[in-house]
Amino acid sequence: VSSEPPGERLKMSALVMDAVVALGRALRADGLATTVDQELALAKALAVVDVRDKEQFRWAARACFLRGPHEAPAFERVFDRFWKGEKLSGSRAPIAEHGETDPRMPGPQHGGESLPQFRLEGRSGHLLGGAVSQAGDEIPTAGAQEPGQGRRRGALAAYSPEEIHTDRRRLDYERGELQAVRILGDELRRAHPERLSRRLRASRRRGRLDLRRTVRRALRTEGDAFHPAWTSVSTRPRRLTLLCDVSGSMERFSRVLLASLRAAVAAGIDAEAFAFATGLTRLTVELSDRDVTRALDRARASVGDWSGGTRIGAAFAEFNRRWAQRGIGRGAIVIIFSDGWDRGDPEQLARETRRLQLQCRRLIWVNPRPADLEMQSLAVGMRAALPYVDNFIPGHDPRAIAGLAELVRGVDRARPARRQAPVSSVSVGRI
Amino acid sequence: MKAPDTIDELRDSLASERYLVDEGLATVVYLALRIRRPLLVEGEPGVGKTELAKALAAATEVPLMRLQCYEGIDVHHALYDWDYQRQLLHLRGEGSEPLYSERFLVRRPLLEALSNPGCVLLIDELDRADDEFEAFLLEFLSDFQITIPEIGAVSAEQPPVVVITSNRTRELHDALRRRCLYHWIEHPDLGRERAIVRARLPRIPEALAAQACAFVEQLRWLDLYRVPGVGETLDWTESLQALGAEEVEPDVTERSLGSLLKAHEDIERVRREGVADLIERAQGAASKGGGPHEEAA
Repeated sequence: VSSEPPGERLKMSALVMDAVVALGRALRADGLATTVDQELALAKALAVVDVRDKEQFRWAARACFLRGPHEAPAFERVFDRFWKGEKLSGSRAPIAEHGETDPRMPGPQHGGESLPQFRLEGRSGHLLGGAVSQAGDEIPTAGAQEPGQGRRRGALAAYSPEEIHTDRRRLDYERGELQAVRILGDELRRAHPERLSRRLRASRRRGRLDLRRTVRRALRTEGDAFHPAWTSVSTRPRRLTLLCDVSGSMERFSRVLLASLRAAVAAGIDAEAFAFATGLTRLTVELSDRDVTRALDRARASVGDWSGGTRIGAAFAEFNRRWAQRGIGRGAIVIIFSDGWDRGDPEQLARETRRLQLQCRRLIWVNPRPADLEMQSLAVGMRAALPYVDNFIPGHDPRAIAGLAELVRGVDRARPARRQAPVSSVSVGRI
Repeated sequence: MKAPDTIDELRDSLASERYLVDEGLATVVYLALRIRRPLLVEGEPGVGKTELAKALAAATEVPLMRLQCYEGIDVHHALYDWDYQRQLLHLRGEGSEPLYSERFLVRRPLLEALSNPGCVLLIDELDRADDEFEAFLLEFLSDFQITIPEIGAVSAEQPPVVVITSNRTRELHDALRRRCLYHWIEHPDLGRERAIVRARLPRIPEALAAQACAFVEQLRWLDLYRVPGVGETLDWTESLQALGAEEVEPDVTERSLGSLLKAHEDIERVRREGVADLIERAQGAASKGGGPHEEAA
C-alpha cells in the first residue's frame, strides 16, 4: 500500500471506512449493539491487516464488534452477505414464532415435542404415584379447557384474573393483575439476601487493624500518639436466581410470574431470571430493559416454548451445564416457580435437581398447585425433585408467599440439612 | 520488544513458545499488538486463555505483568499501596523523609505495567472481581495513566499489550467489552489438539498422543458437566505415560479418568457409556479423520 500515491491511499481508506460503517449498521440492524467507537477500532485494525483477505477481515471485524459468543451466528450471517456484496438491509428474517400453541386447538402443535397441556387436576386422580409413566395417555388434551374454567387456586392464582387470554403475543396486563405483580415482585425485591464480602470497610468497632488509616492518623500527631483505626467485614448482595416454569400447565401463573421476575431483575438486586418449559431461556437481559412493556414483550418473544410441554429435568440439565457452572448458581439462592408437572424422565430430574442443589446456597421451590400432590399424577416431577429441595413453599397459601422474603433473608442463619448420597430410586410420598 | 511484522510471523513465534493458534486468534492477537487495544479472551476453562498471555510475552520478548483478580480486589492490590509498617517505623525513628514518597511506595502489577514500556499485562479472570473494580479498570485502560496524589501522574511511555481473561462467571460490563477486542477461544479441533500435545509434551510417543486426543474429542460429544479442555488433555496424556501406557487401553484409561474428568457424575457417565466402547469409537473417528458427528451423518 505504501508504494501507492497518497491520494490513492486516502481514497482507499475512505472506501474502507464506508465499508466499515455499512457493516456496523447492518449488524446494528440485526440486533448487535455496535458503536461508532467499535467502527473506528475496526478501521484502525483494517489498516494493519490485509483488507483483501476474507479471513483477516472477518476475524478483525469479529474481534471489534462481538461482545460474546452468542452474537457469533448473527455476525456470521451479516458478514457473509457483506462480503459477497449482497444487500445488507431489509433482508432480516422474521423472528420465528415456533413453539407457539393455541389452547383452543387440541393436541400438541409443535413437532410432537410437547404433550397435552391443559390438563385438569383431579381428572386423573385415580392414577396414583407408581403408574405415572403412562399418565399422559389418560389425560384429556387441550380441547377440554374452556376459558374461565380453571379454578383459582393459591396465592399466585389469586393474582391472575379469571379470564384466560388467548392472545398471548401481546402482554397487556389488567389493572388487577398489575397489582398482583407488585405484591409478588415486592416480595422478591424485599428479599435482597446478603452474603459476607471479602472487602473490608472502615469501622469504629475493634476488628482488624487498618494500617492505612492508622498511619494517616499517626501522621497528624507526627508519630507521637497511636490511635489505631479498625476495619470490619462488609456484606454484598447474594445472587437470587429465579427459574420460572412457563409450560402449558403453568399458563395461568406464568404471565404474573414473568412480570414479577422483571420486578426482581429491575430492582437493582443481583437477580438472574430464567424461563423453562421443554428448554431453558435466560431472560435477565431482556427483562433488564428499562421500559416495562418492552421488557416483557422481549422476554415473551425470546421464549420459544412458551406454554409448551414440560421437561423440567432437561431444562435443569441445561441450567447446570451452561449457567450454574459459571457461577450463576454458585452461592446463589435459587427459587423455582413450578407445579412440577413433568413429562420428562423423572430419574434425570432427580439427578439434575440434586446437582443444582449442590451448586447453590439454597434451593427453594414455590409450587402454586401444592394441594394433594399424590392426587396429581402429573406432578411426578415434583415428587422426583422434592428430596433435593431445601425449602418447599406451597404457593396456595398467601401467608407462605408473604414469608418468602423472610426466608430468603434468613438463609445465612443456618445451613439446610442435605443428603450426602443420591437417593437410588424415585420414591416420594406425601408432602 | 520483538514485534512481529505479519500475522504469520506472529503465529510462528507463538509456535516457538509451544503455543499454537488458529487463524482467528492469530489475527486478533496481531491486532492487539498493532493497534494496542486491550484483548478480551473468553472460553471454557482449560482452553489456554492464560497461557496465551504468557506465550505472547515470551514470543515478543517483553516482561509479563500478571494481575490475578479475585473477589474484593481493590486499587491497593492492583495499583499501588504504601508500606505502612515501614512508614510507622520511620515516623517513630524521627526520619526526615516524606512518608508518601517513592521509598515507601509498593508497586502493584498495574503500576509496574506502566513503568515497563511495551510489556504484556495479563488481567486474569476479571469476572471474579466486582463491578467497582471493573469500573476502575475501565478508566485505567482508556488512558494508561494514573495519578498518585502524593507523587503525581504516572503514565506509560508505550502502553502495555493488555490481555484480559474471563470465565464468564458473571457478565462483564458492556462498556468494558466495547473498549476491547473480543475473542472466544473454542476447544481446538482434533488435528490442532494433537499438534498442541506434541508441542507441549515432546517426549510422549506420537501414537499415544494421537489416541489420547481422539479419546478426549469423543468425550466432548458426551454432554458432560465439565467438558475437558486442552489443559486436561495434557494432564491426562502425561498421566498415561506415567502409568507406563503405550496406547490408550480400557484398563489404564479407567484408572486415570480422574485426571481428565473432574466431576463424579461425569466419570459415572463415561463408565456407563463404556470406556472400551468410547476408545473404539475414538479410533474409528480418528482414522476417518472426522468427529462423531460426521460419522453419524
